[in-house]
Amino acid sequence: MDAERIFEIELELLVEAIYQRYQYDFRQYSRHSLRRRLARAQEQFQCRSLSQLQERLLREPALFPRLLDYLTVPTTELFRDPAYFLALRRHVVPYLRTYPSVKIWVAGCSTGEEAYSLAIVLAEEGLLDKTVLYATDINPRSIETARQGIYRADAVREASGNYRAAGGRGSLADYYSAAYDSVRFDPALARNVVFADHSLATDAVFAEVHLVSCRNVLIYFDRSLQDRAFSLFHDALVRQGFLGLGAKETVLLSDHKDQFEVISQDARIFRKR
Amino acid sequence: MNYPNPSHRDPQPAWWLLAIIAGFECAVFALDLLTPAGAAAHILYFLPIVFAVRQSWPNAVLYIAALASVFAIFTHLNAPAGSSTFIAVFNRGIGIFTIWCVAFLVRQVIVTRNDIERQGWLRGTQTELGVAVRGELSVEEFAERALGFLAERLGAKVGALYVREDDGNRLVRAAGYAFDARQSAMPASYRFGEGLVGQVAIEGRPMQVDDVPAGYLSISSGLGAARPCCLLLAPLTAEGEIRGIVELGFLGAAPAVAGPLLLKVSEMLGMGIQTAQYQRRLAELLAESQQQAEELQAQQEELSALNEELEQQNRALKESQVRLENQQAELEQSNQRLEEQTRSLERQKRELLQAQHELQNKTGELERASRYKSEFLANMSHELRTPLNSALILSKLLAENRPGNLTEEQIKYAETIYTAGNDLLTLINDVLDLAKVEAGRLEVSPEPFALTQLLGALEQTFQPLARDKGLSFQVVVDADIPSEVTSDRKRLEQVLKNFLANAFKFTEKGHITLRAYRDGERLALSVEDTGIGIPDEQQEAVFEPFHQGDGSISRRFGGTGLGLSISRELAQLLGGEISVQSTPGEGSTFTLFLPLTPSERVPAPVRAEAELVDETAGADVAPTSTAAVSFSFEDDREQAGTPGRRILIVEDDEAFAKILLDLAREMGFQGLVAPTAEEAQALIVRHAPSAIVLDIRLPDHSGLALLEQLKSDPASRHIPVHVVSVEDFAATARRMGAVGYMLKPVKRDALVQAFEALQQRLEQTLKRVLVVEDDPAQRESIVSLIAGEDVQIESVASAEEALERLSSNVYDCMVMDLSLPAMSGYELLAELSKTDSPYSYPPVIVYTGRDLSREEEERLRRYSSSIIVKGARSPERLLSEVTLFLHRVETELPPERQKMLRELRSREEVLEGARLLLVDDDVRNLFALTSALEPHGAIIEIARNGREALLKLDTAPDIDLVLMDIMMPEMNGYEAMRAIRAQERFRKLPIIALTAKAMRDDQDSCLEAGASDYLAKPIELDRLLSLLRVWLSSRRSF
Ligand SMILES: C[S@@+](CC[C@H](N)C(=O)[O-])C[C@H]1O[C@@H](n2cnc3c(N)ncnc32)[C@H](O)[C@@H]1O
Repeated sequence: MDAERIFEIELELLVEAIYQRYQYDFRQYSRHSLRRRLARAQEQFQCRSLSQLQERLLREPALFPRLLDYLTVPTTELFRDPAYFLALRRHVVPYLRTYPSVKIWVAGCSTGEEAYSLAIVLAEEGLLDKTVLYATDINPRSIETARQGIYRADAVREASGNYRAAGGRGSLADYYSAAYDSVRFDPALARNVVFADHSLATDAVFAEVHLVSCRNVLIYFDRSLQDRAFSLFHDALVRQGFLGLGAKETVLLSDHKDQFEVISQDARIFRKR
Repeated sequence: MNYPNPSHRDPQPAWWLLAIIAGFECAVFALDLLTPAGAAAHILYFLPIVFAVRQSWPNAVLYIAALASVFAIFTHLNAPAGSSTFIAVFNRGIGIFTIWCVAFLVRQVIVTRNDIERQGWLRGTQTELGVAVRGELSVEEFAERALGFLAERLGAKVGALYVREDDGNRLVRAAGYAFDARQSAMPASYRFGEGLVGQVAIEGRPMQVDDVPAGYLSISSGLGAARPCCLLLAPLTAEGEIRGIVELGFLGAAPAVAGPLLLKVSEMLGMGIQTAQYQRRLAELLAESQQQAEELQAQQEELSALNEELEQQNRALKESQVRLENQQAELEQSNQRLEEQTRSLERQKRELLQAQHELQNKTGELERASRYKSEFLANMSHELRTPLNSALILSKLLAENRPGNLTEEQIKYAETIYTAGNDLLTLINDVLDLAKVEAGRLEVSPEPFALTQLLGALEQTFQPLARDKGLSFQVVVDADIPSEVTSDRKRLEQVLKNFLANAFKFTEKGHITLRAYRDGERLALSVEDTGIGIPDEQQEAVFEPFHQGDGSISRRFGGTGLGLSISRELAQLLGGEISVQSTPGEGSTFTLFLPLTPSERVPAPVRAEAELVDETAGADVAPTSTAAVSFSFEDDREQAGTPGRRILIVEDDEAFAKILLDLAREMGFQGLVAPTAEEAQALIVRHAPSAIVLDIRLPDHSGLALLEQLKSDPASRHIPVHVVSVEDFAATARRMGAVGYMLKPVKRDALVQAFEALQQRLEQTLKRVLVVEDDPAQRESIVSLIAGEDVQIESVASAEEALERLSSNVYDCMVMDLSLPAMSGYELLAELSKTDSPYSYPPVIVYTGRDLSREEEERLRRYSSSIIVKGARSPERLLSEVTLFLHRVETELPPERQKMLRELRSREEVLEGARLLLVDDDVRNLFALTSALEPHGAIIEIARNGREALLKLDTAPDIDLVLMDIMMPEMNGYEAMRAIRAQERFRKLPIIALTAKAMRDDQDSCLEAGASDYLAKPIELDRLLSLLRVWLSSRRSF
């Protein structure tokens, strides 16, 4: 049996082991991505094989948070894909305005940049005060970062171009205070943000929301898990609620294609029928 | 829409029309027969022929023409002679000819018309088929619809449609019509050239099979199966390429239109199949490219994650480089410092070595000196005493002045020399004694002797001195002092003498008392004086060698100051100790304590120490050793059981366990002995003892823990437990349900009493309840509520009466009001829970008519776990509490009371009137929960987040339970729960957390934050209701 096949077997066993030991469910994640991430983790933890990694994981709970950082790719940035935020302003915000109070779910918020971007958009649109944002993720360390709202200054400065491209009305610097080489977002932005641990793979709907923004999370899932996520979103959304996805994601090729209509194909914004 | 039957499209004779035409023809024939020749009646033969144009069978015209010809010829031959034969023949000839011409013409018309009609039908059908298969269909859906349409239109009874897969030469069945299991067993695919289907695919032409081979398609219905008579297979093509084959089976012959129709739609269906296949492929490609796009995106993200990681590492590296540089600089600095330090260290080391060396020398010197001292002392004893002896004897002689030649003055000198010499001797003896004690060379030899004798001797010795000094001296001996004690008489005397000597030395006026009395298990010998006393800070110092209360004192009173040091050492050797109590200016009392039983002398201090350690550690800390304890004697566990007469003794001290066992046997019990809590539990399960005597300190568990377990398990709750221990946990144990409590050491009488109480308890099958209530009406109603055949209720109106009953009786339960005349309920409870209270202390139910303040409630909880405030529902609650304490099985209750209890427990009851605070920001949830809970009588308060919840709890403090969502704005559920729990008054408020998380850890975080319980979303109403029941009921019975 060749090494690759063995690696695959080990991979399956490992994700099962993680599930049993820590109840984090990676069993339905895209195999390609998992393979790469685990290979990297194996290398970083200096394990001879995934089996060895598995043994250590089972016995050393302290190792798991570190592995989680490899398994959950935390890549994100402020106003990532500015067109998305622009489209939100154009197509979604006017509808949100019609509700007496608004709820938004940012699923897979990673370290919080997306949530803060949304909060800024809402603040500029005068909606922030009546909005509750749920920002959820499975990586507790990411959530903690998000909760603190402290980011590297250079990364935030780089985002001001995106901010303007997203229709920003002022200056991004209005929303944070800088110290040394870090910036801290105005806590007022996060006053109505609920950062919480929630897994699209195992957990249930927790609230009724008007907009779900789940970007660049589904790309790590296989088809059936994507479908699970879509049905969560469908259940969570009010009728005529909005679903925003990442630049390379779509609901149209899933089993739920008939339950959503396209609002903006380019910005990947859909609406529950 | 009603589809015309396809058979109409076939040229079938319309028989009725033909019959009319034939009739008409016969009429013409008759007319022709009757009319004379020459009359051109046969012209009329045209009419039926022309008429035949109405029907659609082309050849019918020819048959009619033939008949007309036959008729015409026949009538001609039989015609009466008339016109010229030639003309007639000619006429008829022309007529017949014309008939045939017309007939052919008419036939042509019919054929053409039929053709047009068929073409029209074919076209129409094709259009309809087009409509039927319109839309974005999958290949299967397309095949299904097309086949269904064709079979229905052509009247086929069975059919299948095969589709060519991906330009290969396989045909796969994509749809079946009236297919049944047998046919599904047939191959679902054919290669080109394989079977009829494959054959048609190769030939590219329709094929009709009239002799259907066996084992081929068959028609089946509920009535049976038949082989079709005729099979029609036709290719479906697109741009000349085979895309599929349709196969239809008919019961009779295939309709003629079938072939043409299939030919006609072949291209359309072929194209349709191709399109569907293209579409499918397209969708697949789309999905694939979507997946690839996602995969690419994922890869990109991973890459940037990797990048980020690397950057971070880079940053960390840079940082650590900077740090390293700093450290380097620091290191260099500290290096210098280190060098300096090293140097100074070396210096110090040298000095140290030197000092050590010196020390060694000194030690040597000291040792030598000590040896010299010992030698010196030993020598001195001899060298000093010998001359001193002579000095004493001689000075004494001198002082007696026998020859009478000395002056008063000289006699005095001689006496002074004698006293001084005596003092010197005492000093020398003391110094020697101390040296011996310190060297451990002093030995004690205990033996029994009469204490009074010793005391008498002392009295005699010191009485004269007292008289001399004008002091009163008394020896007092208590009555309970044993006449004989065992100790080292000489040493004892030495100590007492020292006490007395001191007392006389330091007392100028007043009295001195030597007293012997009993102090628990010890003998106390005290010397009390009214002398100058010793200040507090010096009381310890007086025991130091060469020390006296005050430097000046020694000068005034003389003495060596060694006496007390020696006394203390001696007391220790005798197994006792010395204590001093003194007030400066008023006097001192020195007391020597000695053990009464000298055998305990050695272990005594050790044990005292051990107990001290344990007591500070608290009740729950059991000695760590859990080594199996087993006793040398056997208990009664192997004997056949006498139900109700088994006592379990839980005690790890073998001697005491044996005493208890013997006593139990003596009193007619069977005794089981368990040295550990674990074994006790095993024995309880196996032997079901009827009573338990429990030691609190056990090697494995604390006995209190065992008691708690016993009392919380319904199976063992009823077993009376009597607690015996050295520790004082009486109140706790009583509250936990112990029937009695004794402190070690226990007298035999007390033990007997305890066993008697247990026995009484066991023999008492009637349950006894004491009701303490001053209001007669209330008392009556309580009594009638809990009355039953097996319950004996005694009621009293005051706390005093209650105490009186409790002093002589054991009750299973006491129901009491708080406000009683004279002694209040609180005082009654306080009295009962005293450690040495002479009263039995049954479980108490407080049944009060007034609301209790928080403090009152807290105070009460110490005595009673069930407090009932009178109200609409209180009688049921009282009954259920009493039942609990009486351990009555529910079915033994009188029926109507059973019903009362059941109603009390009925499920909705708990929710009735319960105030629930619902904390959730989700309107949908709020609505759902409110509408689910309100019908059960719950009163719902709502808060939208943690902060509001806290406010609500402040403004509506009588909330019974909180349902707490976790994910909320402003203040989330965890924070809210922590804030609630931080308030003392909400410590026990049940909080059920609601969360969407499915992880087990999450449950823990909820509980950690203060949730009483946990429910996962989406909420199942049944689970929620049962949780509510649990938590609401537990709250009410608190
Ligand atoms: C690449 S980040 C996307 C961040 C952000 N949404 C954006 O587009 O900038 C993907 C995030 O999804 C999270 N994630 C992965 N599996 C998840 C799951 N089952 N449920 C919720 N979040 C998940 C990961 O922890 C990670 O933070």
